[in-house]
Amino acid sequence: MGVIRAEPARVTDWAAKSIGAVWRAFDLQLTTYAGLLAAIGLVMAYTNSVEDGNLSFDTQTIFTRALMWTALAVVFFILATAFDYRWLRTLSWPIYLFELGLLVLTLGIGAGVGGAARWIAIGPLTFQFSELAKILMIIVLANYLASRQGKLDSLSSILGACLLVGPPLILVMLQPDLGTSLVFAAILAGMLWMSGASLKWLFILVAGVVAFVPIAWTYILRDYQKQRLLSFLDTNPDIKGAGYQLYQAQVAVGSGGWMGKGLTNGTQGQGDFLPVGTTDFVLAGLAEELGFIGVLVVFTLFFLLLWRVLVAGWRSRDAFGTLFAAGMASMILFQLVVNAGMVMGIMPITGIPLPFVTHGGASLVSMAIGLGIIQSINIRQTRAEW
Amino acid sequence: MNAYLDGRPVPIQRLSRFLVFGVVIALAITTLTARLFYLQIVAGGEYTAISTAQRTVVESIPAPRGVIYDRAGRPLVENVPTFAVKLRPSDLPVQFRQEVVDRLGSMIGMDPTQINSIIDSNPGSAFDLVRIAGDVDESTARIISESSGQLPGVEVVVEARRHYTQGSLFSQIVGYTGPVSAEQLPNLRSKGYLPDDMIGKAGLESEYESFLRGTYGTQSVERNARGQKTQVLATLTNVRPGDSLRLTIDTKIQQEAEKALSWGIRAIGNKRGVLIAMNPQTGEVLAMVSLPTYDDNAFARGISNKAFSKLIKNKDLPLINHAVQAHYPPGSTYKLVAGTGGLADRKISPTTKVATKPYLSIGPTRYWDWNHRGFGACDIYCGFGHSSDTYFFTVGGMLGIDRLAFWAKQYGFGAPTGIDLPGEVSGIVPSNKWKIDALGARVFPGETYQASIGQGYDAVTPIQLINAYAALANGGKLFQPQVVRQVIGPDGNVVRDFEPKLIHKLKAKSSVLQTMRKAARNVVLVRHTYNLVDLPIKVAGKSGTAEFGTRDKFGRLPYSSWFVGFTPKDPYHGSFDKGDSQLVVLAFAYDSRTKGNAATEIVKYFFQLHYGIKKDYRNFDLMKRGNFYRSE
Repeated sequence: MGVIRAEPARVTDWAAKSIGAVWRAFDLQLTTYAGLLAAIGLVMAYTNSVEDGNLSFDTQTIFTRALMWTALAVVFFILATAFDYRWLRTLSWPIYLFELGLLVLTLGIGAGVGGAARWIAIGPLTFQFSELAKILMIIVLANYLASRQGKLDSLSSILGACLLVGPPLILVMLQPDLGTSLVFAAILAGMLWMSGASLKWLFILVAGVVAFVPIAWTYILRDYQKQRLLSFLDTNPDIKGAGYQLYQAQVAVGSGGWMGKGLTNGTQGQGDFLPVGTTDFVLAGLAEELGFIGVLVVFTLFFLLLWRVLVAGWRSRDAFGTLFAAGMASMILFQLVVNAGMVMGIMPITGIPLPFVTHGGASLVSMAIGLGIIQSINIRQTRAEW
Repeated sequence: MNAYLDGRPVPIQRLSRFLVFGVVIALAITTLTARLFYLQIVAGGEYTAISTAQRTVVESIPAPRGVIYDRAGRPLVENVPTFAVKLRPSDLPVQFRQEVVDRLGSMIGMDPTQINSIIDSNPGSAFDLVRIAGDVDESTARIISESSGQLPGVEVVVEARRHYTQGSLFSQIVGYTGPVSAEQLPNLRSKGYLPDDMIGKAGLESEYESFLRGTYGTQSVERNARGQKTQVLATLTNVRPGDSLRLTIDTKIQQEAEKALSWGIRAIGNKRGVLIAMNPQTGEVLAMVSLPTYDDNAFARGISNKAFSKLIKNKDLPLINHAVQAHYPPGSTYKLVAGTGGLADRKISPTTKVATKPYLSIGPTRYWDWNHRGFGACDIYCGFGHSSDTYFFTVGGMLGIDRLAFWAKQYGFGAPTGIDLPGEVSGIVPSNKWKIDALGARVFPGETYQASIGQGYDAVTPIQLINAYAALANGGKLFQPQVVRQVIGPDGNVVRDFEPKLIHKLKAKSSVLQTMRKAARNVVLVRHTYNLVDLPIKVAGKSGTAEFGTRDKFGRLPYSSWFVGFTPKDPYHGSFDKGDSQLVVLAFAYDSRTKGNAATEIVKYFFQLHYGIKKDYRNFDLMKRGNFYRSE
């Protein structure tokens, strides 16, 4: 038995040591990469707000709105970092019910284009709850799988996870938002993989999904969704009709060259040839104005970001942290591949935003919350030792 | 085991799964980069070309259309800047179309169904502008441009509208312009016409389209995806404004003609008639009035369906220039042909006496002289002077139908005169060949009688008839009538000056024509035309009463009246020995059915106005309705 030393605790010592530990555990790199991507998004918002070389500071320009959303995202990032992620496990079931509630609400009163219900208006802002629902889904799944620790290679764990993802996925598909519902599937797949689920059962699950595709084609997909997919597969697409966006995006990307046409000089974006060039097709405008080098920078930042997210998962001392990081990485990667692939004509058109860069408010705020949780996981590993 | 002994949960990290995940990330980003490299670097040049091509477009710059002046240089048409409403269908989303069309219709006071039909009959592609309405007033134009948010695809453009200063006085001559139609466009595209372009549709606007239009310029323009111009990059070819026209017609003489004709037509209680004045020495038309008329400005402003169908349904056909676009039986004016032919072919001499009778018989059919008595033994002066039908039956019979046709063609009948106005018709000169081709039989002797006095199959246009008398009046030169004196370039230089165009010289000796001129003078001298001889000027001419249509219950046919007259060079003291006349005038009163010859009174009134004769010689009594003419 050692000597019990009774010394009065020195508050300043504890605080200094603690803040230092927190700061050392906080992943500055992760925050930097995400911040740079968001900054690039802001630059693109700026270039899309410029008309005839002048930027008007109306409250309604794309740029000022993006600035506002960015500020909001920073606030949520700090709050999520400060929040002890372990509480999320306790709150998991209420969070799940909240997620379902949001999606049902969206279906009920949501607004959108062409009969779709995707956005909810909150005052002057519109918010796409399905973006937030993705983060909430990762929390719920991470908690479920962490609670099944030790039985993770059993079929029941896989089926349980599928049952949890099923209702939100279907609700999103009903909006209808095929792209986002596929993100849910990608999150599920990535987290199951990283949970160490049995390869045999995972293989059977994938085979089942593939077998389901013809049924989905016949009974679930809407005509315009089929048309987009067919147009993507068509080797000689109708560039005035269904293939117009895809074609114009490729023209925008292709005409960018090595260095691009320069900010605000993109003729495809500025001439409005590129539909939704400010949101889902933001990468096309970026490729046109900043060229190959500009997009390469974006891809590199994504690569580094994903690496830091995986590092956070690797370092986590509890299964929840690992699984949450896996879910975030799966989501970011899937959205990057689908969005960039769409812009470059190797993926069909779906309304999936490019994480951090697309300045749809809900996407940026949700991503900030997700990253904040990752940082919360990072900084609480040292203190988790006992 | 799911926990260490101290209760700490076992980490679930497996290196293999992390590594595979990392490889997937690396592969995905590498694939994206490879695709990016292909698009931007390998195929970059191709896409740059596409991008340039779709944002720059060669656009036409309309040329100011040439204007039209009368003989004295008074403008008959001007270009006035107006607002036109146009629509680009590709910018109008289908689901909003009806809403936008209804809103636009109420703003410009147009029926939405009419707007829809204009959009649907758009000759160009969905990316080309469609002209919805011209001549929109300024305040409406401003409201429309300011509410572009509620009217997607609708544009207001400033363009030049034609303003016809003498709208109805020159209506059928000057004509009007209108939008290029869907049927015309394919042929006109290569000539630089645009889908929303205007083109001459009637009269000189149509006949001289290639001069008036000018040459459109071109410029290369940068545009955005909606096709809106963002900036002009360069002018490629310059605009050449259209040439202007100067007419042979003087507004003052035209006004005299219009006044005389509309008085006569109104006095009869009718609507349709023609008055033409020409200079027989050159073929220049000095006045040409066709009634009823219309206002060219109605078309320039964009005529409503209702107003247009009213014009179309009018049985007196106001849109037709009856002077050149319609033919009628010439009646006794045509006796010029048989008279000239008989003398030239030596069937008769100026002194040959022909016994005129109440009627001539062929089998059971009687061919009556118009007075049912005859005029005794008549030479050409008597026969032409009294317009004896039996005289000309006899002379026509001597000539035979084919020689009659030969002389008709000598005078220019049966073929368009070639006047520089659109839509001229040829008229009909019957001959054996014509009848075999048209009806499959030779001409009967009775039909030859009819043809000799301008009835039966004979049909002439007023311009042919006046041109025939012009040839008589000038001593045998058949000219092509012309209404345009000069074509003037945009710099004011004369591009094409007037020169008479001779069709041919008549194959008749000048003595024959002199005899016919004297015979025409005798028409006036024997008072066949009542008091025309009392005028202080000397007039020679021929009247005609031409039956047409179907008989009424008394066996009477409706008839039109004609008169063609000319004066010597010195109208007060000259004679008709020489072919020196400088003025020939024709009047035609359709379906007149008057007691006297209405056309003669109309020409008389024109002479009075033209020569400033103060005393009024008009016989108002002769203008009363009363079908004196009974034929069996």
